[in-house]
Amino acid sequence: MTSTKPVVIETRGLRKVFSAGRAPITALQDISFAVREGSFVSLVGPSGCGKSTLLQMLAGLMPSTAGEVFVDGLPVRKPAPDKISVMFQDATLLPWKRVAENVEFPLEVRGTDAAERRERAAAMLSLVGLTDFGARYPHELSGGMRQRVAIARALAPDPRILLMDEPFGALDEQTRIKMGHELLDIWSKTRKTIFLITHSLTEALFLSDIVLVMSHRPGRIVGVIEAGLPRPRTYDIIGSAEFGAARNRIWKLISQDDDESGDNGMASL
Amino acid sequence: MKARILFVQLSFLAVVIGAWELGDRVGAIDPKLLSPPSEVAATLWALLQNSSFLANASDTIVRVIASFLIGAPIAVALGFVMGENISIGRSLSPIFNLVLAVPQSIFLPVFVLVFGLGFTEKLIFGITHVIFVVAVNAMAAVREVPHGQVVLARSFGASKFRIYRSIYLPAMAPQVVTGLRLGVIFAIIGILLAEMYASRTGLGVLLLRWGESYDVDKLMAATVLISAATILINEIMRIWEARIGRWRQVVDDP
Repeated sequence: MTSTKPVVIETRGLRKVFSAGRAPITALQDISFAVREGSFVSLVGPSGCGKSTLLQMLAGLMPSTAGEVFVDGLPVRKPAPDKISVMFQDATLLPWKRVAENVEFPLEVRGTDAAERRERAAAMLSLVGLTDFGARYPHELSGGMRQRVAIARALAPDPRILLMDEPFGALDEQTRIKMGHELLDIWSKTRKTIFLITHSLTEALFLSDIVLVMSHRPGRIVGVIEAGLPRPRTYDIIGSAEFGAARNRIWKLISQDDDESGDNGMASL
Repeated sequence: MKARILFVQLSFLAVVIGAWELGDRVGAIDPKLLSPPSEVAATLWALLQNSSFLANASDTIVRVIASFLIGAPIAVALGFVMGENISIGRSLSPIFNLVLAVPQSIFLPVFVLVFGLGFTEKLIFGITHVIFVVAVNAMAAVREVPHGQVVLARSFGASKFRIYRSIYLPAMAPQVVTGLRLGVIFAIIGILLAEMYASRTGLGVLLLRWGESYDVDKLMAATVLISAATILINEIMRIWEARIGRWRQVVDDP
């Protein structure tokens, strides 16, 4: 889709072996892909295929066994909070802090002064529609609201990249669909590059420009699907023929991988 | 709701004291064994003006405070290291649990043999009472720091120090305070026990003496005083504990 934009995230031959136990386990094998600036890319795959491991490596939270992650062409070896924010399935709000203080937290870590922090938190809370909830505590909010706070917090340091690890996985389906719409809305307003992990093929297709399909352990990229669906997207699109066809292609890639496939070439976007 | 609970509690206390007084008056209770509350109250008032009693009480208080102030920081540090460092934790916690299973009071004769009858023996015995309970709670507190929050802080570029300050400290605080509260109570238990076993001064030794000489008024007065003081300390610490851990209460009491 946006093929002329520069590449912001790139992985080359990424490999991860866990050797803590008796037998070393290869979690990820030869992961190579690139994500262009401002695009919405999803990664789908069966549970336990190493999706979260991959995300942690993209975020600089976990070293790779081989290969490298590049952001803006520079290798990532530790968290780069000025460029990348991470969101997890669990909202991981700090329960002793009020909602607004939670949103301020990344800025607090960075050392931004209090006035600027407050202003920024208010702006982010209004972006996610929680203006009136800044003084509440996380336990007073619903699951969907907590994830919106987490989005506000992730956006507070104004990163260019948002990495999301099944952010809506713990929500009920209605809330989940609603959050998807809101995320697209926020994305179109902020033009961040979003890399989202999900196990829902529908969610991946509905949200993304490009869907990366990952195989069973060891996790490999077995396919790169361009959604090719018009934007802005509405819920109706999920019933369309193109949507169904694309969803089928993804499903085939995942299910045929059960037989085994040796395809692990460079996924070019 | 809170007022009603307090009302029930106070009524219960009033009934107990009333029954006790009445029991003495009608002769159901032998005043030689248990004097009526009115007399106990008068004796207590007299004791509080008695300089020898106050000197003994202040000895006990100093011992309790000293053993807590020395024991608690050591214990928190020890518990923190045991909770945070897996290999140290694995090697030390079984020893901790074994020692915890032994009644510490049986070591009193040994303590007296080694340290004599003075301040040092009481202090060290008090410290051993404080250390375990505070350390075990601090260790549990570290282990319960949510890993996800630590990863989150790291993703925002937080330094190790920042993670300790912004995640560990608030996450651990309520449970550590629970440990400290129990630590104070244990310090009181340890010091009084040591004083009752063998001592020249302190409230423990007075209790023992008055008990042996059938000085029931004074015995009861001192017992009530110590109970009240301990309850007060416990309640104050509990308020602190509840305040610091307010965020842990997902649903507040109605």
